Amino acid sequence: MPRFHLLEFIMKETNAVFKSRGISFLYLSPTILILLTFIFYPAWKAIILSLYRSNLFLGTRKFIGAENIQNLFWGPLAPGFRQVMVQTIIFSTLVVGIGISVSLFLSVQANKDIKGARIYRMLLIWPFALSPAIAATIALFMFNPEVGLVNAVLHMNIRWLDSPVLAFLLTVCIAVWKNLGYNIVFYLAALQSIPRSPLEAADIDGASPVKKFWLVTFPLLGPTTFFLLFTNITYSFFDTFGIIDMLTRGGPVGPGPFFDKEGLTTTLMYKVYLDGFGGSSNMGFAAAEGLVLMAFVVLVTFLQFRFLGKRIHYEG
Amino acid sequence: MKKNESLWVHAVLIFACIIICFPIVFALIKATQESGDVTSASLVPGGAFWKNLQIVWYDYHLGCYLRNSFFISVWVALGKIVLSLFASLALVFYRFKGKNLVFVFIIVTLMLPTEMLILGLFDLVSTQPAAKLVLLLQWMFDPVEFFFAPTKYGFGWGDSLVGVVMPFMASATGVFLFRQHFLSIPHSLADSARIDGANSLQFLRYILIPMSLNTIGALALIQFIYVWDQYIWPRIIIRRTANQVVQVGLNMIVSTGESVQWSQVMTAVVVAMIPPLLVFALLYRSFMNGYALSSEK
Amino acid sequence: MKKTLTVLCALLLTTVALFANGTAEQKSSLQVVKPIEITFWHSLGDAARSGWIQQRVDDFNASQKKYHVTQEAKGSYRDTLQAAVLADKQGNAPSLVHVFEVGSQLAFDTNIFMPVGNIGSFDTSDYIKPVLNYYTINGTVNSIPFNSSSPVLYINVDKLVAAGYSADYVPETFEDMIKVVETAREKKVADANISFALHGWYFEQWMAEQGAVLLNNDNGRAGRATEVNLTSAAAVAIGNFLSTLGKKNLYSYTGRFEDWDGSDAIFTGNKAIFHITSTADLGNISRAVEKSFTLGVGKLPIPTGAKRNGTVIGGGSIWVTKNHTEQELKGARDFALFLTNTDNMVSWHKLTGYYPVRNSSVDKLTEEGWFLSDAKQLVAFNQLLTTIPNSATAGALGGTLLDNRTIMEQAMQKILQGGDVQMVLSEAKVIADAKLKEYNANF
Repeated sequence: MPRFHLLEFIMKETNAVFKSRGISFLYLSPTILILLTFIFYPAWKAIILSLYRSNLFLGTRKFIGAENIQNLFWGPLAPGFRQVMVQTIIFSTLVVGIGISVSLFLSVQANKDIKGARIYRMLLIWPFALSPAIAATIALFMFNPEVGLVNAVLHMNIRWLDSPVLAFLLTVCIAVWKNLGYNIVFYLAALQSIPRSPLEAADIDGASPVKKFWLVTFPLLGPTTFFLLFTNITYSFFDTFGIIDMLTRGGPVGPGPFFDKEGLTTTLMYKVYLDGFGGSSNMGFAAAEGLVLMAFVVLVTFLQFRFLGKRIHYEG
Repeated sequence: MKKNESLWVHAVLIFACIIICFPIVFALIKATQESGDVTSASLVPGGAFWKNLQIVWYDYHLGCYLRNSFFISVWVALGKIVLSLFASLALVFYRFKGKNLVFVFIIVTLMLPTEMLILGLFDLVSTQPAAKLVLLLQWMFDPVEFFFAPTKYGFGWGDSLVGVVMPFMASATGVFLFRQHFLSIPHSLADSARIDGANSLQFLRYILIPMSLNTIGALALIQFIYVWDQYIWPRIIIRRTANQVVQVGLNMIVSTGESVQWSQVMTAVVVAMIPPLLVFALLYRSFMNGYALSSEK
Repeated sequence: MKKTLTVLCALLLTTVALFANGTAEQKSSLQVVKPIEITFWHSLGDAARSGWIQQRVDDFNASQKKYHVTQEAKGSYRDTLQAAVLADKQGNAPSLVHVFEVGSQLAFDTNIFMPVGNIGSFDTSDYIKPVLNYYTINGTVNSIPFNSSSPVLYINVDKLVAAGYSADYVPETFEDMIKVVETAREKKVADANISFALHGWYFEQWMAEQGAVLLNNDNGRAGRATEVNLTSAAAVAIGNFLSTLGKKNLYSYTGRFEDWDGSDAIFTGNKAIFHITSTADLGNISRAVEKSFTLGVGKLPIPTGAKRNGTVIGGGSIWVTKNHTEQELKGARDFALFLTNTDNMVSWHKLTGYYPVRNSSVDKLTEEGWFLSDAKQLVAFNQLLTTIPNSATAGALGGTLLDNRTIMEQAMQKILQGGDVQMVLSEAKVIADAKLKEYNANF
């Protein structure tokens, strides 16, 4: 029985047997202390930093209030920021959408009762142990326009890394590829613990395989999909940094009037890094961008829980 | 299953496996080739693996990077397991007011991954610590100074592996997992332990931990790989080659002052894959059970 | 299962414990009288150059007992400067830092360095004037030039001849270069391309060659610069060149910005007729193409019709950090002077191709007949020595020059991909000015 009772987790309380408050505090304190010190405090500080003009090299710091945020949305640097936001949304949508659909599809196939299913499953899962940096390094070599395998085999000189759209799509593909293993692990497990009865009932009713899938299997995979949506979104926002830094460094500047201010593969996270730690360092400005990123993540999480949380089916 | 359908499924799966596994096979083969072959389309394995390995291990510091990655991955995995065990023990088996609030407080941090905090975290971790405890306390208890002014005193862990490890030590995922698991332990068991006069530590040691090995294994696997794969934070906080971890090290190896030696880069990639794969192979079963993903218990 | 886990944990812990010491700080060896520690951080991580530096470090340490020098390569120029600033914040800055040329204003502004000219007095007359000029701010010598270079044109003579030109022909202008490439293509010469890394450095050089300042306020030398002249006639001339390259598909690069190695590889792999890169790579490139084709070297081609002003010195210099004792400062300065003394600069030049920044080194090399045996080196020299000293060729001084390079690279790429020159450059100027304004607002 899958144990992902997402919204119920907070409510259960039946196992409390010990009473000492002091000891419970003691046990909780290391975790709370570390979270407070290394997560909440820096988060707060980053919010405050966005109200300042700060430079890493100069060690200067001047209060400027909302000027950083202003510069994000109005002013000469705003179009670049807007482009990065749009790119990030498109990038995430693609990575999450393609990632989850492909994983679901492959998991369903690998779950079928065929010879060698075990081997297929193993082969599909093990790239989960790869890191984004490794995935990107291999891609960097394979798709190198001069010495890479892909161009050599195709006998063409496709500029994978400097045509903006190609570079963008390549980054999406590598990001999806790297995370397939992770998604498949969870989907496979969830598929394997779907009880027989609803499926058999559907069979008796004469449902086609496709109908069976969408009306029975998919809803039962709800909790897993929900969980994977959340982790994939986080992945696409943050973990893809390694891929971008190794593969495209923010990437070639995009086309047209909208996408030509910044590199096409610069996601919001990468932009924060570039502005804060690269170039001549404008940390307050980067912090303002980080603020937007934080707001984004909170919003997405909130939306997810609000609209999808209600639709999750649990099995009886 | 009909024959046609079965064939089609096989075809799809074989195709998928090839696409998914090919890049790694590619890296493996290329790691064995000499520099001449490496840039061609040849996929014939060569015999230069050991030579490449030696060069990239010593000249390009791969050994160093691996050692550092190992250090942080093991320590963080251990730290997280221990801290989460205790936190979950408190959250599940103790009764106190505000328990749910604490839990939500912990879970909220899932929305604040380290990557998002680099700007604030950087200051905190690399600024020099206070010379005297008194100064530190004075600073901490001055709300304006503490919350609004630039971080005056930090930990002074810039460019050290401790600075990489500490921010990761607590784990919301761990607390979540262990709590799930502990909640499923029969109430009668916990009750009888208390009636028998066991204190919480004994309960933990003799009952909880033996029952939670799968969850521990699962958490260990997830965290080892998660930390092994860390890129942004080590990139920012570590300066010296001697302290760098393998993921960022790959970037260094690719962009040395001379032409990129792809055979050596691929060798580094292959070697960097081995530890997480090993851990994965060893803890896979735990992982499947610990996440309640398989039907075994 | 439990046992396996325990065993595993124990094993891992032991391994880690064993290795943990290796990651701790290096403990200095105990001596009766400890020599003063001088640390030198630089960005030349490749085996040849860092090896040379280590040899000089050993020489210096062996020649006296007062100071003990250690050196370390810290990655790219950016990483090195950042690392130094952070280390200084933490109270343990290295004594000497190797800073890239466009980082000069930034380094100056960080306030962690002591101008070399203020550490006692020493003779700087031997340093080549144009080189020293770059690193002189407000009349004080701030840093000691170390690795100095200029861009030169590398020529694949075999392809040149195959295109019907004589083996010693050197195109002097953009137009001439394009003509050669087009002729070569007509004659079906394989891989007739122009390669150079897509780097803002070249943009800066081409501005200087035309006598145009990149920044206002005398290139940032008369006062803090507030504008980047990306829409000046000189800039447009460069843009037009790139536009032609893009439209006629004459340019070849790896797609990544600032990919020195990638572009070098294109040339050394016999896939280009012309290549532009630093004279410092002459050694490497000569060796790499020995067996493939004949190499020729020429001056940097400039826009047609422009008067040749000369190049801006590129490379880096050595800065001394200020938060040290008097003794450490002197020791740092002494090592910097030692590293750049006559003999060392001669050997540095022979190894790498960087200019020997001292007049006496140049004399020594001439005496040895070095230039007769390798005329290729002379090209870069003449280019430097015939540089007209003015604000343009003195080099730009600005805090955001790093960002600027990225902006210029993006603009260059857009133009190469077909963008309208005027539009791309004015958009770039808007952003460059905005960034400069943000930077200046720090003061």
